[in-house]
Amino acid sequence: MKEYTLISVAAAVLTVLIARKSASRLFERREFYIFLLIIVFFKLLVNGYLTSRLIVIYNPRFFLNVRIGSIPVEDFLFGFSMVTMTIVLWEHFKLGHSSRFG
Amino acid sequence: MSSYMLVLVISGIVPLLASFYPPLKFYKNSRALLLSIAIILIAFGLWDIYATWRGHWQFDSASVWKWRVVNLPVEEVLFFVVIPFCSIFTWETVNYLKRMR
Repeated sequence: MKEYTLISVAAAVLTVLIARKSASRLFERREFYIFLLIIVFFKLLVNGYLTSRLIVIYNPRFFLNVRIGSIPVEDFLFGFSMVTMTIVLWEHFKLGHSSRFG
Repeated sequence: MSSYMLVLVISGIVPLLASFYPPLKFYKNSRALLLSIAIILIAFGLWDIYATWRGHWQFDSASVWKWRVVNLPVEEVLFFVVIPFCSIFTWETVNYLKRMR
């Protein structure tokens, strides 16, 4: 079974559901998409290096083996989930605590 | 330095230094910063431990230090600290630049 594919899709779906429920309304903010574009750029560099230099090696049994450059497509779902949940949590704790910075 | 550690240092150094730039003192919200990173570290770290245990991926032993946290190279654990930090930095910078316009 393509476990990594399955888990990464589940994580991305869960992330979208949580982000839509959260008070920060990230998906309705243009800055969020600018943020995602910047992250994708740096992700291509970092993830591209780790995968092309075989620092992290993937087992084709567990993923589709569809790659963008050297990066498995599942990594984009992993990355999307991680950075989006990071900002959801950050906004959540920031809003619930002290004032926004200047 | 291992190749993976070098990647982390290069990724994190500019956001770390720039985060001290006075208008961007978002580390002042240290509680939110620590909580957010801690939750990501645990959640995605557990996913990574499972995936590594199952063999979804493995790490080139020549590119990482020998220290492991469960089955993860220490660099992979730090990845879940450095990248969330860089993400929060990027997010705050985008918002800061928007407010400045």
